[in-house]
Amino acid sequence: MAQEGSDVDFELTEDQQLIRTAVAELSAKFDDQYWMEKDENHEFPTEFYDAFAQGGWLGITTPEEHGGQGFGITEASLLLEEVSASGAGMNGASSMHLTIFGMHPVIVHGSEEMKKENLPRVVNGELHVCFGVTEPGAGLDTTKITTFAKRDGSDYVVNGRKVWISKAQESEKILLLTRTAKFEDSPKKTDGLTLFFTDLDRDRVDIRPIRKMGRNAVTSNELFIDDLRIPEEHRVGEEGQGFKYILDGLNPERMLVASEALGLGRAALRRAVRYGNEREVFGRPIGMNQGLQFPLADSLARLDAAELVLRKATWLYDHGRPCAREANTAKYLCADAGFEAADRALQTHGGMGYSEEYHVARYFREARLLRIAPLSQEMVLNFLGEHVLGLPRSY
Amino acid sequence: MEWKLSGEQESYQQTLREWLVAVAGPEPVRAWFEAADPGPFNQRLLGDGWWGVGVTEDAGGQGGGVVELALTAEELGRAAAPSAAWLSSVLTVPATGRWGDTPSCWLTPAEGPPRVVDVAVDGDGLLTGTVPRVLGASSATSFVVAVRGASAVELRLVDDSDAVTIDLRKLLDRSRDVADVTLRGARSTLLEAGADAALADAASLSAVLVAADALGASQRMLDMTVAYSLQRRQFGVPIGSFQAVKHTAATMEVMVEASRSAVYFAAASIEGSDVDSRLHAAAVKAQVTADASIAADAALTVHGAIGYTWEYDLQLFYKRAKLDEYLCGDPHWWNEQIAIGLALA
Repeated sequence: MAQEGSDVDFELTEDQQLIRTAVAELSAKFDDQYWMEKDENHEFPTEFYDAFAQGGWLGITTPEEHGGQGFGITEASLLLEEVSASGAGMNGASSMHLTIFGMHPVIVHGSEEMKKENLPRVVNGELHVCFGVTEPGAGLDTTKITTFAKRDGSDYVVNGRKVWISKAQESEKILLLTRTAKFEDSPKKTDGLTLFFTDLDRDRVDIRPIRKMGRNAVTSNELFIDDLRIPEEHRVGEEGQGFKYILDGLNPERMLVASEALGLGRAALRRAVRYGNEREVFGRPIGMNQGLQFPLADSLARLDAAELVLRKATWLYDHGRPCAREANTAKYLCADAGFEAADRALQTHGGMGYSEEYHVARYFREARLLRIAPLSQEMVLNFLGEHVLGLPRSY
Repeated sequence: MEWKLSGEQESYQQTLREWLVAVAGPEPVRAWFEAADPGPFNQRLLGDGWWGVGVTEDAGGQGGGVVELALTAEELGRAAAPSAAWLSSVLTVPATGRWGDTPSCWLTPAEGPPRVVDVAVDGDGLLTGTVPRVLGASSATSFVVAVRGASAVELRLVDDSDAVTIDLRKLLDRSRDVADVTLRGARSTLLEAGADAALADAASLSAVLVAADALGASQRMLDMTVAYSLQRRQFGVPIGSFQAVKHTAATMEVMVEASRSAVYFAAASIEGSDVDSRLHAAAVKAQVTADASIAADAALTVHGAIGYTWEYDLQLFYKRAKLDEYLCGDPHWWNEQIAIGLALA
């Protein structure tokens, strides 16, 4: 690691380089055909997920005492970037995204029993988890959620609705954010939110997949929660402190999503370059046309620039420094650069780009997601405008 | 719906263009700029009979309407001719209902459409105050001003040159001029026209005519860009054979064509008092002048360093287009007017 006063160091560590190579090699075993079929059939990529579980990759950020490797966000972002860049895209990344870092609130704030019981199973891949925060009536205005957990003896009884819950269909457990005090009864709007890590009891939770544009190997769901009983032991940390617990994870989430967008852009660009070199029209490779070559070169430059901000963001986080500005910027730039690369890859392919056979159509659909999720580009600008530039809150 | 100019309009356009080539080529234009005196050009415009085209005969003009005015503005833009006096005079017609041989202008800042200004009026109609950056003020002999009167906004006409001071400001675009105008108890007479309607009509007219001006400048820059890309050789071929250059020119062409359709349509819409004419005017000001500004940058890029020089004429049209973007309200302001008309929150 860089010492105070030493040169800026752009080199990845030996471990990090190893992670890259190894993940790329493992991912390469699952080719575009595999992902195309999984996506078309709306089928969870179990073989892929299992291969990563067996390789021990799912615990990359989990502390060693709980069976993981205890690496930082930098390593986790390299992993997800390589997964995505292999062509696995968001289908591959989302299958493990929450396993990689979603358990952070449990690791930091959960009870010892909770950690002992769950973390080893998360790391070995057996326990699939999902993250239940967003609601139809609240969107990104998280403190306005209304899913309510009412005390009943030593239990809580939960009622409410969640939406856009990735992987809920495939998950055994959920990190569930609820209100234990209503918004209007809370002194501060961030008070009264309580986080649980509990079983997704199908008798009490109706899980309905949302039909959507892409990333179809991993579901996105609407949850209807009807008298779900949760024992006190499944509460993460203290009652009323849930907002704070999830806040910790937002910057890392932005960085990981940024890395997935970046990887997807790389995958798209690789395909575009290959096609530009192979495909001949008017007696020469189409990549010879400036109209095609320049946009691809431009995308390379934009992806490289976005990558630098991402690396800085994860470095700051792993060094315990403030990183909100960089995390948001990385998400913003990577999402745009990734989508633009996918769009241009599609354009390079012409009509073929529109067919599933060349895979760029799938990348395109998935890359579009990252300009919306986990938060829209506009919300990133809100953050930068208000909290970095010091302009008045605009929403 | 008629989607083309009449034969008469076409021949007007053609004749005016030829006249401008003969009278207002780059050399005389540059000379007028150097002298900071648009007077000689205004005199030619009047003397050769172009001055009153587009103003009805009833009002003292030579007939024709807003389409003819738009055609005139377009050609003046294409020539980068010093047209501030003509434009500012035309914009006063909705207020005065009259047209004369001497230039006039609204006392209003050039960066917006005509509006009510902070000029004090006393019981005798004497006006006091300063209005900054008034378009065409250096040539004007009479001024229209919208002021807050005792009970309502009033339109007043000032022709008291002794009580008016004109301080010329320097613009990057030398083909137009603005000045700060100070009134020191200047005599004025009340105009009969309703202030709200006159201001709104003048605003819409300014939007269409500045857009037409930008269209003319864009067309000229496109022509120059195509010619230069064929003439200039690099790596043994004309730079126009590079797709990046070719596509840039094609994109300019698309902007120019779209702008032309929109400008003529908006002009006809105002002329025909279409219920949506204000919207049409706002749309062309917002769209066309923004596109012209982009086209100017594209033209400069294709020209490379030569386009950046004083000697090369591109700078005349580049600056013309850049000022048109802001003159009489920038695209942002006009988009805001469109947004107000939509039922948005």
